[in-house]
Amino acid sequence: MRAWLPLAAILSLVALSAQAASLRIAAVTGSAGACHALEAGAPAGETAYFRLLETRLGRDILTCPVVDRAAAAQALASGAVDIAVLDPAAYALVKAKTRAILTVRPIGGLNRIPVVVATKATGPVPDLAALRGKSVVFGGSAQAALAVPRQALADQGAGPGFFSREDVAADANAAAARLRSGAAGVLALNAADWERLCQGERTQDNSCGDLKVIWRGRPRATLALVVRRDIPDELRFRLIGIHVAMHIEAKPAFAWASSWAPQAAEFEPTEAEALALAAR
Amino acid sequence: MRRWFTCFAVFALGWGVAGCGQRPAATASAGWRAEMKQVRFAVRGAESDPTMATLWSVYRDYLSKAIGLPVKLYESSDYNGAIQALSSGQVDMALIAGGGYANVDAQVGDKVAPILTIRQAEGSMGYYSALLVKKDSPIHSLADMKGRSLGYVDFNSTSGYLYPRAKMREQGIEPDTFFGKTSFAGGHVQAVMGLENGQFDAAIVEEGGGDPAHGFTTGPQFTMARRGLVDLKDFRTVWVVGPIPNAVFVTRTDRPQPFIDIVRGAMAALPYDQPDIWRETGQKDGGAYAAVDRGFYAEVIKLRAADIAQRRSGGSAKASKPS
Repeated sequence: MRAWLPLAAILSLVALSAQAASLRIAAVTGSAGACHALEAGAPAGETAYFRLLETRLGRDILTCPVVDRAAAAQALASGAVDIAVLDPAAYALVKAKTRAILTVRPIGGLNRIPVVVATKATGPVPDLAALRGKSVVFGGSAQAALAVPRQALADQGAGPGFFSREDVAADANAAAARLRSGAAGVLALNAADWERLCQGERTQDNSCGDLKVIWRGRPRATLALVVRRDIPDELRFRLIGIHVAMHIEAKPAFAWASSWAPQAAEFEPTEAEALALAAR
Repeated sequence: MRRWFTCFAVFALGWGVAGCGQRPAATASAGWRAEMKQVRFAVRGAESDPTMATLWSVYRDYLSKAIGLPVKLYESSDYNGAIQALSSGQVDMALIAGGGYANVDAQVGDKVAPILTIRQAEGSMGYYSALLVKKDSPIHSLADMKGRSLGYVDFNSTSGYLYPRAKMREQGIEPDTFFGKTSFAGGHVQAVMGLENGQFDAAIVEEGGGDPAHGFTTGPQFTMARRGLVDLKDFRTVWVVGPIPNAVFVTRTDRPQPFIDIVRGAMAALPYDQPDIWRETGQKDGGAYAAVDRGFYAEVIKLRAADIAQRRSGGSAKASKPS
């Protein structure tokens, strides 16, 4: 019996090696099962996706059936899978151990641009919640100026009914003028407009010294590819690099891999907390 | 038993599970670094804009950590330096303008490929070319420039030469005969300096951070104004064309694929992972890198080929360095 112990140890090492050499992708199928290689009759897009990852990463790619997104989250956190598509509710269960890396930009959609919420610098305003009941002004009606800030605010619990009144100014400068004059209590701009508003002619200039940023963050992703936080940077960057170009380099693979997002244009990277409900 | 020990020995030697009849698992992860040893990254010289020096320094450090290899910057003093280094394979990657990529494409085709460009907050992936004059100039339109002196940026500049010349021709103006004299300033900042110093009546330079309707917030005169070298109020824009596809990260395609994937992934992740660094390097808030291919630069490639054909068939640029 003792003679077999070294062999058992070796077999364990080989098994661990095989596990490390594979990438296990959670697949929400309604029932749980062991990770396995893609079956011969798998959809062409799924096969193309797995082949692409296998070729580019030099790893076996396995599919791992899970009941639902919550189960995918738990499998990810426990190390049973390496990557899963999660929603905010599922992510909340495992946020200490996992992070978002990629989401999908829809056709005609913008980058998930940051939003800045500001008030006049006078007076203490500790956080976004303290702005309830004040009036807000946006810096224009374009998607980046109105829809994006509105979405970001709604994600933080400041959706319809949170502010006493919503105004839409012609542009960021007009919106800032309304805040400064007291016609509005809160200014909500996308970060690019805020940067242009505050950029002085000289490096040391700051045209927004009289304003105070209360909150800054991106609209929350609705779904994202999530990995464990301890994933090596190399693997994370390679996954991002492969995915962001997939709509160009491997269209059938992209169509399948992004099928969880409507009207998918391309994968785009995310910050770690892209699915988090809390302020970022 | 001996067979298993053979497997174990193979595993211990770094072959992973390959020796046990499965596909090599680590072939793509380690060997390519030994092959490359270092990453050679061509960029434009930063002598005219300190922000660029910060940008290159940050990119070098960030990419070196991401790739796991030392990154050596090759700063060239003119556009052609990066183009030739890339075409000859002396560097592995570069950040160049669309016109520079068109030049490389004409020389080596698919041996170099675009991988990333910037998508701005509002969704645009381009910038503009503007004809600047001094505020008290009698010139108020492109037509007013007939017989006057014009400062281009560089023969390989997209916004400071290639693109505006093509658009002039579309408007019925032949740039090789319309102006009294043309010069190459050597850079965008130098073109504004030449205008400021009276070396030419107008300069054609890049503009960004906005659009013709809302005005611009980036460009050489803004860079110089931030450094206290000029006053923005001293200049007037009389003609704008664009958008022109943004500058592009390109890599040699004969380099290891893991290297290309890491560069693309790490750069694409930068504004999300490290927004403070993104802003520190002068990148605009809300912007991010997006994957592109040769097709994104097809118009620039076509315009460059047409410009060269036009000059070969009829005239010459008649441009010289300002004295």
